[in-house]
Amino acid sequence: MKTAAHRGNRTKLLVLAALVLLAAAAYMLVEVNFSNPKLLRFSMQLRTPKLLVMLIAAFAIGGASIVFQSVINNTIVTPCLLGMNSLYTLIHTAVVFTAGSGSILAVNANAAFAVDLVLMGVAAMVIYGYLFQKTRHNVLYVLLIGTVLTSFFGSIQSTLTRVMDPNEYDALLTTLVASFSNVNGEIIAFSLVVLAVIILVLRRDLAQLDVLTLGKDQAINLGVDYDRSVRRLLLGVTLSIAVATAMVGPISFMGLIIANLSRQLLRTYRHSQLVLGSALFGMLILVAGQLVVEHVFTYAIPISVFITVGGGIYFLYLLLARRRV
Amino acid sequence: MMQVRELTKQYDGKVVVDGVTFQIPKGKVTSLIGPNGAGKSTVLNMISRLVARDSGLVDFDGKDIGKWKSKELSKRLAILTQTNNIQMKLTVRELVAFGRFPYSGSHTTAEDEAIIDRAIAYMELEDFQDRFIDELSGGQRQRAYIAMVIAQDTEYILLDEPTNNLDIYHATNMMKIVRRLCDELDKTVILVLHEINYAAFYSDYICAFKDGKIAKFAPVKEVMTKEVLSQIYQVDFEILNIQGKPLSIYY
Repeated sequence: MKTAAHRGNRTKLLVLAALVLLAAAAYMLVEVNFSNPKLLRFSMQLRTPKLLVMLIAAFAIGGASIVFQSVINNTIVTPCLLGMNSLYTLIHTAVVFTAGSGSILAVNANAAFAVDLVLMGVAAMVIYGYLFQKTRHNVLYVLLIGTVLTSFFGSIQSTLTRVMDPNEYDALLTTLVASFSNVNGEIIAFSLVVLAVIILVLRRDLAQLDVLTLGKDQAINLGVDYDRSVRRLLLGVTLSIAVATAMVGPISFMGLIIANLSRQLLRTYRHSQLVLGSALFGMLILVAGQLVVEHVFTYAIPISVFITVGGGIYFLYLLLARRRV
Repeated sequence: MMQVRELTKQYDGKVVVDGVTFQIPKGKVTSLIGPNGAGKSTVLNMISRLVARDSGLVDFDGKDIGKWKSKELSKRLAILTQTNNIQMKLTVRELVAFGRFPYSGSHTTAEDEAIIDRAIAYMELEDFQDRFIDELSGGQRQRAYIAMVIAQDTEYILLDEPTNNLDIYHATNMMKIVRRLCDELDKTVILVLHEINYAAFYSDYICAFKDGKIAKFAPVKEVMTKEVLSQIYQVDFEILNIQGKPLSIYY
């Protein structure tokens, strides 16, 4: 069924994609020295991995946020609630606390990435695979567990920082803020593989997303194995967020903004379009934001500050502007 | 054919459905009635696989309902409950198109489109088909959901309190639709009703529940008697005969 709205959305998505391309081109080419080939190559080497990381992270967070909102059946939740951000913060704090800021686990980006991903992956499996079955597939329990865990991890982390050597804390702080510096090729390739596997494994469940949003009863009526699909999708969401967080740090709050921007722009229930829109918005915000951070503020303000401030204001707007409850 | 044997369900140690056994007459309208908490909705939800049962058998066309592939079952049996709140921006036509999901997934074929057209026309929703669901009145929304169930093209249609929250006009229309589903489209309809007279006027069989058990399952005329009804509801009844159908007055 190709309705007029469907075609209109395709145009909107194309415009959005063009804007992303424009931003990406600007990011790659602004203030590049074209006359000196060595300098040109150096800038490209520096900027390409950063750009790729931003695009991948935006895709992971954007997709995961839409899926998460649809599974929970609420458009003002964010996968932040799953507690992956605070687990990331805790892992990094614990590493610096026990092994010191000079240890290989803290200094080597690959090692840190591996530790993050393994721990977050295991936590996701245990918490959202096992407990979800245990609580009879009640998605509200998932939110509750996530909220409790967020403050649990947060408390341990703040306890650790209180007894920590101030110099170590200073070193730690830079890794606790989302940033796109110090990324390398291996992480990018590995993240891409993980995300591709997640999508491949979940392709059937993703195809059922449109029906899942009709609610549990309707989904079952239409032949969807609801509990199984929701469990698998939640696990996929958690792992995608884990990948994105391990890659760039805690920025999954952005998911709330981009998922809702996508819903507002497209006004559809089709998840193929919503996910794409959300991912594209994420890419646009990250790339354009990073462009501003690097060239206007010359790294004085990290991009996560913009995302948190902007996101907070947008969140308030969403709460106040929703007429119907 | 649907046969239910010794169906039982407990919630927190309290037995809500207690060894219920019955057989659904094919091609007829069967209403489940009874006081609040008698277990009629729970039975409906169990025979449609929405709620897990504790014990008992639900035999559907020779196979237990739990052994059916969910997708195959959804081509034979449709259930409509009262908890239909959609967060999405969804038009009537898009909702009706979901009825084809068990057959074609998200990509409808030309044949599906024809079936969707017919379902919308049958429910007289042509003028609303591009309106959003959340902009419709309760009666229109209910009709849109029925159209979806028609598009689902199942032999069995289960409805959980379809007249709930509807005024007399829309509720009566809904019951007429139920009758037409059976008479014109040859569906077997099973519905939970609170309003006894709707059950008496529009259905063929009535299954009356009390305290988790079946108090009486029989053709309408046999259930709609002073004795049976006052025993089930614990209030006084008078039975009148209007248009050849028994209607009850209670006070």
